[in-house]
Amino acid sequence: MGIQEQYISEAAGLLSSGAVKLVIGYSEGSTTDRRRPVFVRTPAEAERLMLDGACVANLSTYLLSEGLLSDGKSVAVFLKPDGIRSINILAAEAQLNPEQLVIFGFDIQNGQARPLQGRKISDFTPIVEAARAAGLSPELQGEAERLEHISAAERFEYWKEQFSKCIKCYACRQVCPMCYCRRCIVDVNQPQWVNTSSHTLGNFEWNIVRAFHLAGRCVACGGCDRSCPVNIPLRLINHRMAKEVLDAFDYYAGESTDQKPVLATFRPDDPETFIL
Amino acid sequence: MSEPFEPKIVAFVCTYCTYAGADLAGTSRMKYASNVRMVRLPCTGRISPMFILKALQKGADGVLVSGCHPGDCHFAQGNYHARRRWTVFRALLAFTGIPEQRIRFSWISAAEGAKFADLINTLTEDIRKLGPFDQYHELQKVIETQATY
Amino acid sequence: MAKIGVFVCHCGENIASMVDTANLVAEISEHPGVEICTEYKYFCSEPGQETVKRAIREHNLTGVVVAACSPRMHEQTFRKACAEAGLNPYMLELANIREQCSWVHTEKDEATEKAIEITRSLIEKVKRNNALFPISVPVTRRAMVIGGGIAGIQAALDIANAGREVVLVEREPSIGGHMSQISETFPTLDCSQCILTPRMVETVQHPNITVMTYSEVEEVDGYIGNFTVKVRRKARYVRMETCTGCGDCIQKCPVKKIPSEFECGLGNRSAIYTPFAQAVPNVPVIDRSRCLYFKNGKCAICKKTCQIDSIDFDQQDTIETIEVGAIVVATGFQVQNTSLYGEYGYGRYKDVITGLHFERLASASGPTAGKIRRPSDGKEPETVVFIQCAGSRDVSKGVRYCSKICCMYTAKHAMLYSHKVHDGDTKIFYMDIRAAGKGYDEFTRRAIEEDHAGYVRGRVSKIFEENGKLIVRGVDMLLGRPVEVAADMVVLATAMVPQPDAKDFAKIIGIGYDEYGFFNEAHLKLRPVETATAGIYLAGACQSPKDIPDSVSQASAAAAKILGLFSREHLEREPVIATVSDSTCAGCWGCVTACPYNAIDHRDINDRNGNLIKRVASVNPGLCQGCGTCVSFCRSNSIDLAGFTEKQIFAEVMAL
Repeated sequence: MGIQEQYISEAAGLLSSGAVKLVIGYSEGSTTDRRRPVFVRTPAEAERLMLDGACVANLSTYLLSEGLLSDGKSVAVFLKPDGIRSINILAAEAQLNPEQLVIFGFDIQNGQARPLQGRKISDFTPIVEAARAAGLSPELQGEAERLEHISAAERFEYWKEQFSKCIKCYACRQVCPMCYCRRCIVDVNQPQWVNTSSHTLGNFEWNIVRAFHLAGRCVACGGCDRSCPVNIPLRLINHRMAKEVLDAFDYYAGESTDQKPVLATFRPDDPETFIL
Repeated sequence: MSEPFEPKIVAFVCTYCTYAGADLAGTSRMKYASNVRMVRLPCTGRISPMFILKALQKGADGVLVSGCHPGDCHFAQGNYHARRRWTVFRALLAFTGIPEQRIRFSWISAAEGAKFADLINTLTEDIRKLGPFDQYHELQKVIETQATY
Repeated sequence: MAKIGVFVCHCGENIASMVDTANLVAEISEHPGVEICTEYKYFCSEPGQETVKRAIREHNLTGVVVAACSPRMHEQTFRKACAEAGLNPYMLELANIREQCSWVHTEKDEATEKAIEITRSLIEKVKRNNALFPISVPVTRRAMVIGGGIAGIQAALDIANAGREVVLVEREPSIGGHMSQISETFPTLDCSQCILTPRMVETVQHPNITVMTYSEVEEVDGYIGNFTVKVRRKARYVRMETCTGCGDCIQKCPVKKIPSEFECGLGNRSAIYTPFAQAVPNVPVIDRSRCLYFKNGKCAICKKTCQIDSIDFDQQDTIETIEVGAIVVATGFQVQNTSLYGEYGYGRYKDVITGLHFERLASASGPTAGKIRRPSDGKEPETVVFIQCAGSRDVSKGVRYCSKICCMYTAKHAMLYSHKVHDGDTKIFYMDIRAAGKGYDEFTRRAIEEDHAGYVRGRVSKIFEENGKLIVRGVDMLLGRPVEVAADMVVLATAMVPQPDAKDFAKIIGIGYDEYGFFNEAHLKLRPVETATAGIYLAGACQSPKDIPDSVSQASAAAAKILGLFSREHLEREPVIATVSDSTCAGCWGCVTACPYNAIDHRDINDRNGNLIKRVASVNPGLCQGCGTCVSFCRSNSIDLAGFTEKQIFAEVMAL
């Protein structure tokens, strides 16, 4: 039995026994190579679930839907290692109780979905450790270094051009599991820290602030990048932040459910070579 | 010869150390460049990265962020938290092309009036050499010309 | 509508000579919202302040900017003036055009331009200031002292003698702490017991002091002025109320061969015991793990012996809840386990002992009645080697810091030994002799010159046994050659380290600790007695290694701080504190983690039926010190800091 059949049958079983009230997974998308999230509430509906190499979205976002977990009932969710890290962060930031989750873990290797052992968040500690050991994406790092080698002025022009495309649709925010604030900083108008119009200054500020808020929290699921309608390389800027917290503070986001936020903690011997 | 460019520098400082250090420079009648405008906060822990962006928007060519030396914070830990934020924010700004030379960070204690005066002079000179931060200020001008509201 | 009054001070010539104040006034008068702008020679003077007050009243000003000196100089002066004129004192800002403008610049036009900008930006800030009111916190005028060593005793006595109630909590069966174990004290060679026991008795008999021995703090809640402490009173199995301390039970107890903790294992105690003869209170406890009755239900000889039936095998631990306004933490230290120095043979050779063992050997009330006898065979040692820094200042094996007291007590030990064993020989291996303190250097000189203490500068590499002697091999750095001493006894000056459970205790009580587990003071130099948690103070060696004089000084300082706090029924605090916006808080608790003062907690918001709607962060105004670290952490901008709000700073920056 392949992973898809195995997970479908297990999901159906969980729903029929009442062990979970909902399964969040993937189903057919708008084209043959795309998958869209599906919310399965009955065993019969479980047939709609799909799992293959095209299942890339980080579904942890949907767990934050208002009131979903407040009844204390369990929910099953399909997650890749990045999504599992998101769960760790969300649990550490008290946004959900991981005990309520049944995790259908999977990984994509050579275009194929492969199962990950375990169903509870604590089962996946070795997976997260392995992800950390594997390091940040060399592809993104290459891209980041290419930018770092050009002059600041050229880099500024590059981002100015990228950000000038932004239409402030906030798709990046909506898709991101870390953007759970009830009121985003961009919606604060007393005072109006971020210019909300989609002119370049406002876009610049918005994207910088978002990247800062994701420092030490982004798991590089790539959701923002994929959802951006104007193709701003958002993943790149978030990657640079992940690299910074790893290099400076030995911090890898989403390691455990009790990991303290990198910017709410410190070590007296944190590096400070840049401070005069 | 045109007049030398006079940069605008905004400093965000904590009241217990750097602000007091600047006061000491004053009571000691040290002299330094007049380009800096101080914004007094209780602690470096209170300094949000947004402040820096707003200063740039308002035409700052350079920004200084300064507080108590590690271990000397009046609030025990505020400067340690600030230091982490600066590390991250500085990397972010650098990555988006805002030159590191324009956004500077320092520890200046209440006793370091001379360090404050020297730093302001150095910083002013450095930024004078870099020239105005037109690249960023252009973004603001775009708003002003495009604004239809 | 804002009606701002701006008052430009000349400060004699201090400002006016470098800033064109007339120009400044002209520019500022045009600024939106400025109702009145005037200049004067000295606004801080009586007539100057009267001008400000009159303007506030006549123009119904909503805010005031005084463009003058640093707020660090005269903010309080003008706040007071505002309050006297009926304007909230926090509706004031000082534009610093003296220390940070006229005094530091040389070009009048530049300085004037800068002064105008500074003043403008503060006008924009003050427009957004809010009226603030001092926070009044009621104070429970009773203190708790945790730890009944010399530091705790001193703090308790000082507070009690000033007329305030004190609860002294000690986890051992008797108060007294380490000082009660010490033989004589440097630099005066007073007998420790002789100076300590009167204080112990005074403490327990003091009408304002409640002593809780054999008790431990389990939980601390609340904040400055209003702590609720849960204390576990461990079952003694002896009724405190009736026991006369006759000691018959101790005499008759058949289990006698238990190594005494107080004697560092050099003597024995029984299963029902007091730690030492002068224990206060003089009421024994039953060691449940050793008592035959608790082991197999038989014996109970103590119960039969007791003429007033004070033995109660059914006693249970009790939890007492105590309300206090301030806490002194004086939990002391322990000596480092020296087993990590395998080469010194501690634990392997009976005659390699620690300084604390030596204190017991030298003590008149100790197991040898003050005669120096080596533990292995009870013989008088003819040669004694002392090794200083056995653990201290040792990055590789021990601790990095200096334990501070070892140089002095080692000199004392050498003296005591030579007083008791007249033809004995001493060798002291040392790195440096650190004898800073009143009478301290004289003391070590005396040890060398009068009592012939044989100081050898250098380290010991190895100790081994040969023909009944301990062969100490080391190096004499000053002569640059190896040394070998055949000793009868070796005394290690082991490091002072925190109590083994210090870190757990710090978490219970909510204070910080360093990498070793010593408790953190609020500021090493300026607030060495306070902790970062308001209302909790430190005394003694729980903060860092200390000798008796330092511990006592700090204890009295802590007591003085507390008496200051207790001088009023209410505590007035600056209203510059953080507040949370309930509606937007996402409950990520980053602020809770970041707060240096543990001032932020969770708060449930319930509907009228008591159902939980959401949990939000909540700032305790009693604990918040107003640093604003939480504000700049909060991603959703859901916390703000009164006096330095986001709106104020935004306006200030945008006006630059």
